[in-house]
Amino acid sequence: MGLNNLKREETLNLAMLIGKVLLKSGAETSRVEDTITRFCQANNCHDVNVFVTPTVIILGDETPNGMGCVCRIRYRSTNLQLISEMNDFSYNLKNWPLDYAATIEYLEGKLKALPPYSSRLVCLASGLSSGCFSVMLGGNSHDFVAAFITGYLAMLLLKKLGGYRPSAFWENALAGAAIGIVAILCCAASVQCTMEKIIVGALMPFLPGVAFTNGLRDYMAGDLISGNSRIAEALLFATSIAIGLAFSLQAWHIWGWDLWK
Amino acid sequence: MEVNVLSAFVFAFFATAAFGVLFQAPKKTLISSGVIGAVGWVLFVLLRHQLGYNSFHANFFAAVVIALGSELSARLFRQPATVFVIPGIIPLVPGLGMYQGMTQIIEKNYELGTATLLTACTDSAAIALGMMVMTSVFRVLKISKERKQRLQRLKNTARNN
Repeated sequence: MGLNNLKREETLNLAMLIGKVLLKSGAETSRVEDTITRFCQANNCHDVNVFVTPTVIILGDETPNGMGCVCRIRYRSTNLQLISEMNDFSYNLKNWPLDYAATIEYLEGKLKALPPYSSRLVCLASGLSSGCFSVMLGGNSHDFVAAFITGYLAMLLLKKLGGYRPSAFWENALAGAAIGIVAILCCAASVQCTMEKIIVGALMPFLPGVAFTNGLRDYMAGDLISGNSRIAEALLFATSIAIGLAFSLQAWHIWGWDLWK
Repeated sequence: MEVNVLSAFVFAFFATAAFGVLFQAPKKTLISSGVIGAVGWVLFVLLRHQLGYNSFHANFFAAVVIALGSELSARLFRQPATVFVIPGIIPLVPGLGMYQGMTQIIEKNYELGTATLLTACTDSAAIALGMMVMTSVFRVLKISKERKQRLQRLKNTARNN
């Protein structure tokens, strides 16, 4: 048993699957490349080259009569649990209990499995972090409650819309618009709320700050193309949230005041 | 500016742990990544507002401490360091600056918007730099340890022959 004496084809197949799981759960480019290279070298494929960007994995031989495989990644999310499991897998190759077919099944299962936290828990976490951020940036207890509600509802909207597979731009723009509307309603309900604190707190779960920092890390590690694309993605997300938010706030300024009176 | 360290710590702890849930981090790492994020945020606030460091330096030192804590707990919990770093830097990352910059640009306030965006850029660079410093130190330690082990093994086989 175990993953000993794999054929070259089988090695490349497994390496591609591992890379797919890692990249889909939001691992850094260098980690994906490292893991794939380490796996191939452990199975005596020393001349395999791998190139990873956030949207594609290219895996192939250096020689002209070698094999090559390409995998396009469309939907990515962040799932640190899976990254940690794949890390365990790649460090425990020597005493891995499953054989080739079972490992393929295991990895395919990981691709389809539900994330460890349910979407209700994720919504609550989004609310909690929104509230905490609004206090950290100088809000009071009313701001905490309002930001909690806003962050919770915005994440709930995203989860409900998730089935329609909207593009990332629309997803973020709608979240921004929802945050604007709920924040306005909260400010109308309580005088002690400050609009800016609520909005800033509720935006935190949607802002691409980590993507931006990871892009800069990619640059420093020498992965220029993935650095470019991560930074472009972060800027696109920030723009789309700002557009959605500006839309709802402008609409309130133009029409809402009359409705409220 | 007077800083309430305790409340900063508590709120940053909960914000970071909640972000751990958002990022689907393993359950046993949530508390320690919360502590790491909270320590980093408290350090940042103290440096920035009490000791008057500028934002680049405050971010850099806080990121160094966060990366150090993450690498140590990665070895303690046998997890990759990313699991702790990504939620841990959340209180620091300048998402707010990016949002404000974009809003100012949408409002046609181009000069202020570009300035805010560039500040967010340098802050991110500071965080990334601080993290890289610690990661490189730990990588060098690991490689030198492996090399030592390999040399030891070679010596042993030579002696046996």
